[in-house]
Amino acid sequence: MIDNLTIMLTHGLMLIAVWRLLKRPEVDDESTIDPDTRKGRWPRA
Amino acid sequence: MMLLGFLAAMFAVGAKRPFLWVLTYVYIDIVAPQRLTYYLLNSVPISLMAVALAVGGFLLLDKKTDVRFAPRQGLILLLLVYCGLTTMSADFPVEAADKWAWVWKALAFAAFLPFTLRTKLRIEALLLFMTLAVATIIIVGGVKTAMGGGGYGELNLMVTNNSGLYEGSTISAVAIAIIPLILWFLKYGTIFPPDWRVKAFGYALILSCLLIPVGTSARTGLLCIGLLAVLMFRFTKHKLAFAGAIAIMGVAAIPLLPASFTQRMDTISDHKADESASTRLAVWGWTISYAKQHPFGGGFNAYIQNKVRYELRDADGGAKGIATDEARAYHSAYFEMLGEQGYPGLLIWLIINFAGVFRMEILRRRHRDPSDPYAWAGQLAAALQSGQLIYLLGAAFVGIAFQPFIYMLIGAQIGLDSYLKRKRGEGATTTLRPIRKVATPVTT
Repeated sequence: MIDNLTIMLTHGLMLIAVWRLLKRPEVDDESTIDPDTRKGRWPRA
Repeated sequence: MMLLGFLAAMFAVGAKRPFLWVLTYVYIDIVAPQRLTYYLLNSVPISLMAVALAVGGFLLLDKKTDVRFAPRQGLILLLLVYCGLTTMSADFPVEAADKWAWVWKALAFAAFLPFTLRTKLRIEALLLFMTLAVATIIIVGGVKTAMGGGGYGELNLMVTNNSGLYEGSTISAVAIAIIPLILWFLKYGTIFPPDWRVKAFGYALILSCLLIPVGTSARTGLLCIGLLAVLMFRFTKHKLAFAGAIAIMGVAAIPLLPASFTQRMDTISDHKADESASTRLAVWGWTISYAKQHPFGGGFNAYIQNKVRYELRDADGGAKGIATDEARAYHSAYFEMLGEQGYPGLLIWLIINFAGVFRMEILRRRHRDPSDPYAWAGQLAAALQSGQLIYLLGAAFVGIAFQPFIYMLIGAQIGLDSYLKRKRGEGATTTLRPIRKVATPVTT
Protein backbone atom coordinates (compact mmCIF):
# COMPACT_ATOMS: atom_id res chain seq x y z
CA MET A 1 0.00 0.00 0.00
CA ILE A 2 2.59 2.57 1.13
CA ASP A 3 5.03 1.10 -1.37
CA ASN A 4 2.66 1.51 -4.30
CA LEU A 5 1.46 4.98 -3.34
CA THR A 6 5.05 6.18 -3.00
CA ILE A 7 6.03 4.67 -6.33
CA MET A 8 3.04 6.38 -7.93
CA LEU A 9 3.92 9.73 -6.34
CA THR A 10 7.62 9.87 -7.22
CA HIS A 11 7.22 8.31 -10.64
CA GLY A 12 4.33 10.66 -11.40
CA LEU A 13 6.53 13.61 -10.46
CA MET A 14 9.35 12.31 -12.65
CA LEU A 15 6.94 12.01 -15.57
CA ILE A 16 5.72 15.59 -15.06
CA ALA A 17 9.36 16.70 -14.93
CA VAL A 18 10.08 14.89 -18.20
CA TRP A 19 6.97 16.43 -19.78
CA ARG A 20 8.13 19.91 -18.77
CA LEU A 21 11.67 19.20 -20.01
CA LEU A 22 10.29 18.22 -23.40
CA LYS A 23 8.72 21.64 -23.71
CA ARG A 24 11.93 23.50 -22.86
CA PRO A 25 14.46 23.71 -25.70
CA GLU A 26 17.10 25.13 -23.35
CA VAL A 27 17.72 21.57 -22.18
CA ASP A 28 19.88 21.27 -25.27
CA ASP A 29 20.60 24.85 -26.22
CA GLU A 30 20.77 27.78 -23.84
CA SER A 31 20.74 30.42 -26.56
CA THR A 32 16.98 29.84 -26.78
CA ILE A 33 16.32 31.24 -23.32
CA ASP A 34 14.21 34.36 -23.25
CA PRO A 35 14.07 35.54 -19.66
CA ASP A 36 11.38 38.13 -20.28
CA THR A 37 8.64 35.92 -21.60
CA ARG A 38 8.80 32.94 -19.29
CA LYS A 39 8.52 33.18 -15.56
CA GLY A 40 10.60 31.19 -13.16
CA ARG A 41 13.70 31.32 -15.35
CA TRP A 42 17.17 32.34 -14.30
CA PRO A 43 18.46 35.67 -15.58
CA ARG A 44 20.68 35.72 -18.59
CA ALA A 45 24.37 36.16 -17.91
CA MET B 1 3.16 -2.94 -14.50
CA MET B 2 3.33 0.71 -13.52
CA LEU B 3 7.13 0.61 -13.51
CA LEU B 4 7.13 -1.02 -16.89
CA GLY B 5 4.95 1.74 -18.35
CA PHE B 6 7.19 4.36 -16.76
CA LEU B 7 10.33 2.84 -18.26
CA ALA B 8 8.71 2.48 -21.67
CA ALA B 9 7.77 6.18 -21.52
CA MET B 10 11.32 7.15 -20.52
CA PHE B 11 12.89 5.15 -23.33
CA ALA B 12 10.42 6.68 -25.78
CA VAL B 13 10.89 10.35 -24.83
CA GLY B 14 14.64 9.93 -25.17
CA ALA B 15 14.11 9.75 -28.90
CA LYS B 16 13.11 13.43 -28.79
CA ARG B 17 15.73 14.53 -26.27
CA PRO B 18 18.60 12.02 -25.97
CA PHE B 19 19.67 13.58 -22.66
CA LEU B 20 16.59 11.97 -21.11
CA TRP B 21 18.26 8.58 -21.63
CA VAL B 22 20.97 9.71 -19.25
CA LEU B 23 18.23 10.39 -16.70
CA THR B 24 16.72 6.99 -17.44
CA TYR B 25 19.98 5.28 -16.56
CA VAL B 26 20.31 7.40 -13.40
CA TYR B 27 16.80 6.35 -12.40
CA ILE B 28 17.42 2.64 -13.05
CA ASP B 29 20.71 2.73 -11.17
CA ILE B 30 19.14 4.34 -8.09
CA VAL B 31 15.71 2.70 -7.86
CA ALA B 32 16.66 -0.65 -9.44
CA PRO B 33 13.08 -1.23 -10.69
CA GLN B 34 14.09 -4.72 -11.81
CA ARG B 35 14.35 -5.59 -8.12
CA LEU B 36 10.92 -4.21 -7.26
CA THR B 37 8.97 -6.24 -9.77
CA TYR B 38 9.33 -9.72 -11.13
CA TYR B 39 7.27 -8.93 -14.15
CA LEU B 40 9.41 -8.98 -17.29
CA LEU B 41 11.90 -6.38 -16.05
CA ASN B 42 14.37 -8.81 -14.59
CA SER B 43 14.65 -10.77 -17.80
CA VAL B 44 15.48 -7.70 -19.91
CA PRO B 45 18.84 -5.95 -19.32
CA ILE B 46 17.26 -2.50 -18.85
CA SER B 47 20.34 -1.00 -17.24
CA LEU B 48 22.52 -2.01 -20.18
CA MET B 49 19.93 -0.70 -22.64
CA ALA B 50 19.72 2.64 -20.85
CA VAL B 51 23.48 3.12 -20.68
CA ALA B 52 23.89 2.14 -24.34
CA LEU B 53 21.23 4.68 -25.33
CA ALA B 54 22.69 7.36 -23.03
CA VAL B 55 26.23 7.00 -24.41
CA GLY B 56 25.05 6.37 -27.98
CA GLY B 57 22.69 9.33 -27.84
CA PHE B 58 25.50 11.56 -26.66
CA LEU B 59 28.02 10.33 -29.25
CA LEU B 60 25.68 10.38 -32.24
CA LEU B 61 23.08 13.05 -31.55
CA ASP B 62 24.35 15.53 -28.98
CA LYS B 63 26.35 18.69 -29.57
CA LYS B 64 29.98 18.21 -28.64
CA THR B 65 31.44 21.57 -29.56
CA ASP B 66 31.79 22.82 -26.00
CA VAL B 67 32.68 19.57 -24.29
CA ARG B 68 35.41 19.87 -21.68
CA PHE B 69 37.51 17.28 -19.96
CA ALA B 70 38.00 18.17 -16.30
CA PRO B 71 41.00 16.96 -14.26
CA ARG B 72 38.71 15.11 -11.87
CA GLN B 73 37.28 13.07 -14.73
CA GLY B 74 40.85 12.02 -15.45
CA LEU B 75 41.29 11.03 -11.81
CA ILE B 76 38.10 8.95 -11.92
CA LEU B 77 39.42 7.16 -15.01
CA LEU B 78 42.77 6.69 -13.28
CA LEU B 79 40.99 5.12 -10.31
CA LEU B 80 39.05 2.93 -12.74
CA VAL B 81 42.26 1.66 -14.38
CA TYR B 82 43.94 1.20 -11.02
CA CYS B 83 41.00 -0.82 -9.66
CA GLY B 84 41.11 -2.91 -12.82
CA LEU B 85 44.76 -3.71 -12.14
CA THR B 86 44.18 -4.65 -8.51
CA THR B 87 41.27 -6.84 -9.61
CA MET B 88 43.61 -8.79 -11.88
CA SER B 89 46.03 -9.44 -9.04
CA ALA B 90 43.38 -9.71 -6.31
CA ASP B 91 43.73 -12.00 -3.29
CA PHE B 92 40.29 -13.38 -4.10
CA PRO B 93 39.88 -13.18 -7.87
CA VAL B 94 36.28 -14.43 -7.98
CA GLU B 95 34.95 -12.19 -5.22
CA ALA B 96 36.93 -9.24 -6.54
CA ALA B 97 35.46 -9.73 -9.99
CA ASP B 98 31.96 -9.60 -8.44
CA LYS B 99 32.54 -6.15 -7.03
CA TRP B 100 34.48 -4.95 -10.06
CA ALA B 101 31.43 -5.83 -12.19
CA TRP B 102 29.44 -2.93 -10.71
CA VAL B 103 32.25 -0.61 -9.60
CA TRP B 104 33.63 -0.07 -13.09
CA LYS B 105 30.18 0.92 -14.31
CA ALA B 106 29.75 3.47 -11.53
CA LEU B 107 33.18 4.98 -12.22
CA ALA B 108 32.84 4.96 -16.00
CA PHE B 109 29.42 6.61 -15.78
CA ALA B 110 30.76 9.25 -13.37
CA ALA B 111 33.53 10.10 -15.84
CA PHE B 112 31.04 10.24 -18.72
CA LEU B 113 28.24 12.15 -16.97
CA PRO B 114 29.85 15.65 -16.94
CA PHE B 115 30.16 15.61 -20.76
CA THR B 116 26.38 15.57 -21.04
CA LEU B 117 25.81 18.39 -18.53
CA ARG B 118 26.17 21.22 -21.02
CA THR B 119 23.33 23.42 -19.83
CA LYS B 120 22.03 24.70 -16.52
CA LEU B 121 18.74 22.94 -17.06
CA ARG B 122 20.49 19.61 -17.59
CA ILE B 123 22.33 19.94 -14.30
CA GLU B 124 19.05 20.77 -12.59
CA ALA B 125 17.24 17.89 -14.33
CA LEU B 126 19.93 15.40 -13.29
CA LEU B 127 19.79 16.46 -9.66
CA LEU B 128 16.00 16.51 -9.69
CA PHE B 129 15.90 12.96 -11.04
CA MET B 130 18.46 11.78 -8.51
CA THR B 131 16.40 13.35 -5.73
CA LEU B 132 13.02 12.02 -6.89
CA ALA B 133 14.42 8.56 -7.60
CA VAL B 134 15.99 8.20 -4.18
CA ALA B 135 12.84 9.80 -2.68
CA THR B 136 11.03 6.60 -3.66
CA ILE B 137 13.07 4.73 -1.06
CA ILE B 138 13.14 7.60 1.43
CA ILE B 139 9.39 8.27 1.48
CA VAL B 140 8.59 4.59 1.94
CA GLY B 141 11.08 4.42 4.82
CA GLY B 142 9.96 7.72 6.32
CA VAL B 143 6.25 6.89 6.30
CA LYS B 144 6.83 3.41 7.72
CA THR B 145 9.04 4.86 10.46
CA ALA B 146 6.38 7.44 11.32
CA MET B 147 3.85 4.62 11.55
CA GLY B 148 6.02 2.73 13.99
CA GLY B 149 7.98 0.30 11.85
CA GLY B 150 11.73 0.02 11.82
CA GLY B 151 14.75 -1.09 13.77
CA TYR B 152 18.21 -1.90 12.46
CA GLY B 153 17.88 -4.20 9.45
CA GLU B 154 14.13 -4.37 10.01
CA LEU B 155 12.72 -1.36 8.23
CA ASN B 156 11.05 -2.75 5.14
CA LEU B 157 12.27 -0.69 2.19
CA MET B 158 10.37 -2.62 -0.47
CA VAL B 159 13.18 -5.06 -1.29
CA THR B 160 14.54 -7.64 1.10
CA ASN B 161 18.10 -8.16 -0.01
CA ASN B 162 19.45 -5.13 1.85
CA SER B 163 21.99 -3.98 -0.72
CA GLY B 164 22.84 -0.83 -2.64
CA LEU B 165 20.81 2.19 -1.58
CA TYR B 166 18.29 -0.11 0.10
CA GLU B 167 20.82 -0.86 2.84
CA GLY B 168 19.94 0.96 6.09
CA SER B 169 23.19 2.79 6.86
CA THR B 170 23.78 3.73 3.24
CA ILE B 171 20.34 5.23 2.73
CA SER B 172 20.67 7.05 6.08
CA ALA B 173 23.82 8.83 4.96
CA VAL B 174 22.46 9.55 1.46
CA ALA B 175 19.08 10.77 2.80
CA ILE B 176 20.78 13.36 4.99
CA ALA B 177 23.27 14.28 2.25
CA ILE B 178 20.51 15.32 -0.17
CA ILE B 179 18.71 17.65 2.27
CA PRO B 180 20.80 20.71 1.22
CA LEU B 181 19.95 19.86 -2.37
CA ILE B 182 16.20 19.72 -1.62
CA LEU B 183 16.48 23.13 0.04
CA TRP B 184 18.19 24.44 -3.10
CA PHE B 185 15.29 23.19 -5.23
CA LEU B 186 12.85 25.01 -2.95
CA LYS B 187 14.59 28.26 -3.82
CA TYR B 188 15.99 27.92 -7.32
CA GLY B 189 14.05 25.10 -8.98
CA THR B 190 12.78 25.91 -12.48
CA ILE B 191 11.36 22.54 -13.55
CA PHE B 192 9.14 22.70 -10.49
CA PRO B 193 9.15 26.43 -9.65
CA PRO B 194 8.74 26.69 -5.88
CA ASP B 195 5.05 27.32 -5.24
CA TRP B 196 3.17 26.09 -2.16
CA ARG B 197 2.77 22.55 -3.52
CA VAL B 198 6.46 22.15 -4.29
CA LYS B 199 7.36 23.58 -0.88
CA ALA B 200 4.94 21.26 0.91
CA PHE B 201 6.41 18.25 -0.91
CA GLY B 202 9.98 19.45 -0.30
CA TYR B 203 9.56 19.93 3.44
CA ALA B 204 7.70 16.64 3.78
CA LEU B 205 10.55 14.94 1.94
CA ILE B 206 13.10 16.56 4.26
CA LEU B 207 11.13 15.28 7.26
CA SER B 208 11.16 11.86 5.66
CA CYS B 209 14.94 12.08 5.16
CA LEU B 210 15.38 12.94 8.84
CA LEU B 211 13.25 9.95 9.83
CA ILE B 212 15.38 7.47 7.88
CA PRO B 213 18.20 7.26 10.45
CA VAL B 214 15.52 6.80 13.13
CA GLY B 215 13.81 4.03 11.19
CA THR B 216 16.99 2.19 10.34
CA SER B 217 18.56 2.89 13.77
CA ALA B 218 21.73 3.79 11.90
CA ARG B 219 24.05 5.64 14.24
CA THR B 220 25.91 7.04 11.27
CA GLY B 221 22.74 8.88 10.26
CA LEU B 222 22.55 10.68 13.58
CA LEU B 223 26.12 11.93 13.18
CA CYS B 224 25.25 13.07 9.66
CA ILE B 225 22.25 15.03 10.99
CA GLY B 226 24.59 16.69 13.47
CA LEU B 227 26.97 17.70 10.69
CA LEU B 228 24.06 18.94 8.58
CA ALA B 229 23.01 21.23 11.45
CA VAL B 230 26.59 22.58 11.71
CA LEU B 231 26.83 23.15 7.94
CA MET B 232 23.47 24.92 7.84
CA PHE B 233 24.51 27.05 10.78
CA ARG B 234 27.40 28.27 8.63
CA PHE B 235 25.10 29.75 6.01
CA THR B 236 22.23 30.96 8.13
CA LYS B 237 21.76 34.67 8.74
CA HIS B 238 19.95 34.48 12.06
CA LYS B 239 22.41 32.25 13.87
CA LEU B 240 20.96 32.62 17.34
CA ALA B 241 17.39 31.87 16.22
CA PHE B 242 18.67 28.89 14.22
CA ALA B 243 20.57 27.47 17.20
CA GLY B 244 17.50 27.96 19.40
CA ALA B 245 15.20 26.26 16.89
CA ILE B 246 17.57 23.28 16.57
CA ALA B 247 17.79 22.91 20.34
CA ILE B 248 14.00 23.07 20.77
CA MET B 249 13.43 20.60 17.91
CA GLY B 250 16.04 18.23 19.34
CA VAL B 251 14.53 18.25 22.82
CA ALA B 252 11.00 17.92 21.42
CA ALA B 253 12.03 14.97 19.26
CA ILE B 254 13.53 12.82 22.03
CA PRO B 255 10.24 11.61 23.60
CA LEU B 256 8.95 10.78 20.13
CA LEU B 257 11.89 8.56 19.24
CA PRO B 258 11.39 4.82 19.63
CA ALA B 259 13.22 3.15 22.53
CA SER B 260 15.18 0.90 20.17
CA PHE B 261 16.63 4.02 18.58
CA THR B 262 17.67 5.79 21.79
CA GLN B 263 19.23 2.60 23.16
CA ARG B 264 21.30 2.14 20.05
CA MET B 265 22.32 5.79 19.95
CA ASP B 266 23.51 5.53 23.55
CA THR B 267 26.16 3.13 22.34
CA ILE B 268 27.84 5.92 20.36
CA SER B 269 29.40 7.28 23.55
CA ASP B 270 30.29 3.94 25.19
CA HIS B 271 31.32 1.99 22.16
CA LYS B 272 33.28 -0.55 24.16
CA ALA B 273 30.07 -2.24 25.28
CA ASP B 274 29.00 -2.65 21.73
CA GLU B 275 30.10 -5.49 19.52
CA SER B 276 29.46 -3.73 16.24
CA ALA B 277 31.71 -0.83 17.21
CA SER B 278 34.40 -3.09 18.70
CA THR B 279 34.69 -5.22 15.60
CA ARG B 280 34.92 -2.06 13.55
CA LEU B 281 37.97 -0.89 15.50
CA ALA B 282 39.49 -4.36 15.25
CA VAL B 283 38.96 -4.52 11.49
CA TRP B 284 40.44 -1.08 11.02
CA GLY B 285 43.51 -2.17 12.98
CA TRP B 286 43.78 -5.26 10.82
CA THR B 287 43.47 -3.16 7.64
CA ILE B 288 46.30 -0.84 8.68
CA SER B 289 48.68 -3.73 9.30
CA TYR B 290 47.52 -5.47 6.12
CA ALA B 291 48.28 -2.31 4.11
CA LYS B 292 51.80 -2.25 5.54
CA GLN B 293 52.47 -5.62 3.94
CA HIS B 294 50.36 -4.94 0.85
CA PRO B 295 50.77 -1.22 0.13
CA PHE B 296 49.06 -1.60 -3.25
CA GLY B 297 45.99 -3.25 -1.77
CA GLY B 298 44.54 -6.71 -1.93
CA GLY B 299 41.87 -6.07 -4.55
CA PHE B 300 38.14 -5.90 -3.99
CA ASN B 301 36.71 -7.83 -1.04
CA ALA B 302 40.17 -8.48 0.41
CA TYR B 303 38.58 -8.24 3.86
CA ILE B 304 37.38 -11.86 3.55
CA GLN B 305 40.76 -13.05 4.81
CA ASN B 306 40.72 -11.10 8.07
CA LYS B 307 40.52 -12.74 11.47
CA VAL B 308 40.07 -10.32 14.30
CA ARG B 309 40.11 -10.74 18.06
CA TYR B 310 38.65 -8.06 20.23
CA GLU B 311 37.84 -7.50 23.83
CA LEU B 312 34.23 -7.07 24.90
CA ARG B 313 33.49 -4.84 27.84
CA ASP B 314 30.26 -4.04 29.58
CA ALA B 315 29.03 -0.48 29.96
CA ASP B 316 30.94 -0.01 33.25
CA GLY B 317 34.22 -0.89 31.60
CA GLY B 318 34.54 -4.39 33.08
CA ALA B 319 35.84 -7.15 30.84
CA LYS B 320 33.14 -9.38 29.43
CA GLY B 321 35.39 -11.64 27.44
CA ILE B 322 37.21 -11.98 24.18
CA ALA B 323 35.38 -12.44 20.92
CA THR B 324 36.81 -13.54 17.63
CA ASP B 325 35.45 -13.01 14.21
CA GLU B 326 36.48 -13.42 10.63
CA ALA B 327 35.69 -11.92 7.25
CA ARG B 328 34.37 -8.73 8.83
CA ALA B 329 33.56 -6.01 6.31
CA TYR B 330 35.45 -2.73 6.55
CA HIS B 331 32.51 -0.63 7.76
CA SER B 332 34.34 2.44 6.51
CA ALA B 333 34.98 3.72 3.03
CA TYR B 334 38.44 5.00 4.01
CA PHE B 335 39.57 1.57 5.22
CA GLU B 336 37.75 -0.08 2.34
CA MET B 337 39.95 1.93 -0.02
CA LEU B 338 43.12 1.30 2.00
CA GLY B 339 42.60 -2.46 2.26
CA GLU B 340 41.34 -3.06 -1.26
CA GLN B 341 43.21 -0.46 -3.31
CA GLY B 342 46.16 0.28 -1.03
CA TYR B 343 47.73 3.69 -0.48
CA PRO B 344 47.60 4.81 -4.13
CA GLY B 345 43.90 3.94 -4.40
CA LEU B 346 43.09 5.66 -1.13
CA LEU B 347 45.03 8.72 -2.26
CA ILE B 348 43.23 9.00 -5.61
CA TRP B 349 39.87 8.51 -3.89
CA LEU B 350 40.66 11.19 -1.32
CA ILE B 351 41.76 13.63 -4.02
CA ILE B 352 38.59 13.02 -6.06
CA ASN B 353 36.44 13.69 -3.01
CA PHE B 354 38.27 16.53 -1.32
CA ALA B 355 38.97 18.28 -4.61
CA GLY B 356 35.19 18.39 -4.94
CA VAL B 357 34.81 20.01 -1.54
CA PHE B 358 37.54 22.51 -2.46
CA ARG B 359 36.21 23.35 -5.95
CA MET B 360 32.67 23.83 -4.62
CA GLU B 361 34.02 26.23 -2.00
CA ILE B 362 35.66 28.30 -4.74
CA LEU B 363 32.43 28.41 -6.77
CA ARG B 364 30.38 29.21 -3.68
CA ARG B 365 32.60 32.16 -2.84
CA ARG B 366 32.79 33.39 -6.41
CA HIS B 367 29.00 33.55 -6.72
CA ARG B 368 27.99 34.35 -3.16
CA ASP B 369 26.53 37.76 -4.00
CA PRO B 370 22.70 37.40 -4.23
CA SER B 371 22.60 39.86 -7.15
CA ASP B 372 25.11 37.79 -9.15
CA PRO B 373 23.34 36.26 -12.18
CA TYR B 374 24.97 32.98 -11.14
CA ALA B 375 23.86 33.18 -7.51
CA TRP B 376 21.93 29.96 -8.15
CA ALA B 377 25.23 28.27 -9.04
CA GLY B 378 26.97 29.52 -5.91
CA GLN B 379 24.14 28.16 -3.79
CA LEU B 380 24.12 24.90 -5.72
CA ALA B 381 27.86 24.54 -5.17
CA ALA B 382 27.25 25.05 -1.44
CA ALA B 383 24.53 22.36 -1.45
CA LEU B 384 26.70 19.89 -3.38
CA GLN B 385 29.58 20.61 -1.02
CA SER B 386 27.45 20.07 2.08
CA GLY B 387 26.10 16.85 0.61
CA GLN B 388 29.60 15.59 -0.04
CA LEU B 389 30.86 16.52 3.42
CA ILE B 390 27.94 14.63 4.97
CA TYR B 391 28.78 11.65 2.76
CA LEU B 392 32.45 11.84 3.76
CA LEU B 393 31.44 11.73 7.43
CA GLY B 394 28.98 8.87 6.91
CA ALA B 395 31.61 7.05 4.84
CA ALA B 396 33.85 6.91 7.90
CA PHE B 397 31.49 4.28 9.33
CA VAL B 398 29.96 2.65 6.27
CA GLY B 399 31.80 0.94 3.41
CA ILE B 400 30.39 3.11 0.63
CA ALA B 401 33.54 4.19 -1.23
CA PHE B 402 32.00 3.23 -4.57
CA GLN B 403 28.35 4.12 -3.95
CA PRO B 404 27.14 5.07 -7.46
CA PHE B 405 24.81 7.78 -6.12
CA ILE B 406 27.79 9.71 -4.75
CA TYR B 407 29.67 9.39 -8.03
CA MET B 408 26.66 10.93 -9.75
CA LEU B 409 26.83 13.77 -7.24
CA ILE B 410 30.52 14.17 -8.08
CA GLY B 411 29.57 14.07 -11.77
CA ALA B 412 27.12 16.92 -11.14
CA GLN B 413 29.85 18.89 -9.34
CA ILE B 414 32.22 18.50 -12.28
CA GLY B 415 29.41 19.40 -14.67
CA LEU B 416 28.61 22.59 -12.74
CA ASP B 417 32.29 23.50 -12.54
CA SER B 418 32.83 22.99 -16.29
CA TYR B 419 29.60 24.85 -17.08
CA LEU B 420 30.69 27.92 -15.10
CA LYS B 421 34.19 27.78 -16.60
CA ARG B 422 32.65 27.77 -20.05
CA LYS B 423 30.43 30.73 -19.17
CA ARG B 424 33.41 32.64 -17.79
CA GLY B 425 35.29 31.77 -20.96
CA GLU B 426 32.46 33.10 -23.12
CA GLY B 427 32.41 36.33 -21.11
CA ALA B 428 36.19 36.61 -21.12
CA THR B 429 36.96 35.95 -24.79
CA THR B 430 35.81 39.40 -25.82
CA THR B 431 37.63 41.28 -23.09
CA LEU B 432 40.79 39.20 -22.77
CA ARG B 433 41.73 38.70 -26.38
CA PRO B 434 43.81 41.90 -26.77
CA ILE B 435 45.78 41.12 -23.62
CA ARG B 436 46.59 37.65 -24.88
CA LYS B 437 47.88 39.06 -28.14
CA VAL B 438 50.30 41.27 -26.28
CA ALA B 439 51.30 38.50 -23.94
CA THR B 440 52.16 35.91 -26.61
CA PRO B 441 55.40 37.44 -27.96
CA VAL B 442 56.71 38.02 -24.46
CA THR B 443 56.48 34.32 -23.56
CA THR B 444 58.19 33.11 -26.76
